[in-house]
Amino acid sequence: MSEMRPPEFPKGHRPQVFDDPAIDQLHDAWLALATELAVAFERIDTLERLLETKLGVAREEIATYVAPAAVAAERAQRRADLAQRLLRPFREFRAAAIARGKHAEAPPDPET
Amino acid sequence: MNGFNHHAMLPDPTHDEQSRQDFVGALRGHLSSRLMPGAYKVYASKVEPAFKAKHGRAPADQEEVRKVMTQDPFYQFWSAMQRRSQEMLWESVIDPTERQLPDLIGKARKIGRKARGKLRLDPKLEIPRYHRAADIHLQPGGYHTDFTADDIAAGAVYDKGINLYMGGGLGPENDLTGNTLLAYVREKHPGFEPKRILDIGCAIGNSTLVWARAFPKAEVHGIDVGAPVLRYAHARAETLGVKVDFSQQNAEHTDFADGSFDLVLSHITLHETSRSALPRILGECRRLLRKGGMTLHLEIPRGRTAMEKFMHNWEAYNNNETFSRFMTDIDLIAEAVRGGFAKSEVKTADFVPQLDVAQMNYTEYFAWKILEGVRR
Repeated sequence: MSEMRPPEFPKGHRPQVFDDPAIDQLHDAWLALATELAVAFERIDTLERLLETKLGVAREEIATYVAPAAVAAERAQRRADLAQRLLRPFREFRAAAIARGKHAEAPPDPET
Repeated sequence: MNGFNHHAMLPDPTHDEQSRQDFVGALRGHLSSRLMPGAYKVYASKVEPAFKAKHGRAPADQEEVRKVMTQDPFYQFWSAMQRRSQEMLWESVIDPTERQLPDLIGKARKIGRKARGKLRLDPKLEIPRYHRAADIHLQPGGYHTDFTADDIAAGAVYDKGINLYMGGGLGPENDLTGNTLLAYVREKHPGFEPKRILDIGCAIGNSTLVWARAFPKAEVHGIDVGAPVLRYAHARAETLGVKVDFSQQNAEHTDFADGSFDLVLSHITLHETSRSALPRILGECRRLLRKGGMTLHLEIPRGRTAMEKFMHNWEAYNNNETFSRFMTDIDLIAEAVRGGFAKSEVKTADFVPQLDVAQMNYTEYFAWKILEGVRR
């Protein structure tokens, strides 16, 4: 028998719950995101516990950690980059709307 | 996790795979215990009063409830998440299964060489349409498809998947349905000692093993149309130290001799078949019974009110339980009579198990339906 693997999606009718299928897709995406967040939390928890038992880094030390100025600056940049990436679709929609003149009263977007 | 017996035929999840499974289990528990009851509240406080104001009466049946409830934002929110959680449940189990599949198949082959129970597959068996048309419960590929030689993946995925489905409520070896029917037999028919037992639509044999353990002297058979679930069932039973003979057969027409069983069972199987198959299956059960032999079928609850029926049928519309909605108001006794039973030979009973609301999915009231037939 040739090596095949099961399909990614189950065979059969997929119900649409909301009037706009995009909302169904958004629900599916945020639940997947929530799952991966739970996975990441548990991995961090595992790391913290191993650090404590194997290397003596107390969990309390992590909880009370204050970032030095250089680290804080690095983190601020990373947050800004993340916001930039996350909000890209919204900036694109807005730019397109402004180009069509639908939101002529809106102030010009400094990022576009 | 959740008291589940992690036996040797189950794949071992990695740290992250385990976290995914635990999360989907927690999510489903939350949906059942925190959000699902809200749908009943929304119906009682908002949807039903609005319907009454418009029509001067309450919704007459589940179809009228469906029309209005599926437009309600709270129901839509719960329904979208319930559907996605079902898909995520399978995905969380498929990853570790696929990763370890060659090892698991190797294990099953090795177990098969020293097995006490028999495994008989029929590659020519025609898979009934009710299995082919849609993947039941959304398990990708269904329960009958081989994707590689000696495939057992569908069985391994099903075993852990149904554990997550009811938040561990199906018991440490997914044995709740078997134990429920066994409790019924012990209560209603004390002293009944079947010598030959058949479990139809047995899948991975999770219920079958209950009967083999309860009646250790009996010869126990399990049949299903799916080859990968049967290979897994066989390896699983041997791993758990239980002897069962599994064969790939359609319960509408088996190759067992007339009157060759004392007890013929099914556990939440009938609602996965079809209107034409159902009476044929019940007729076949009667053919297989010796005089005085008994057939028992455990079915899922269908609800009492129009709203409960609508909620139970969420699975019919959203979880590929396509025949399920026809089972809502079906007369199982009439179906058994259509199959060849005399009316005096059959009866039904309700059985209320001890379950937590976090394990129930669609209702706060839960009663199994049991069909009992005795060949006179």
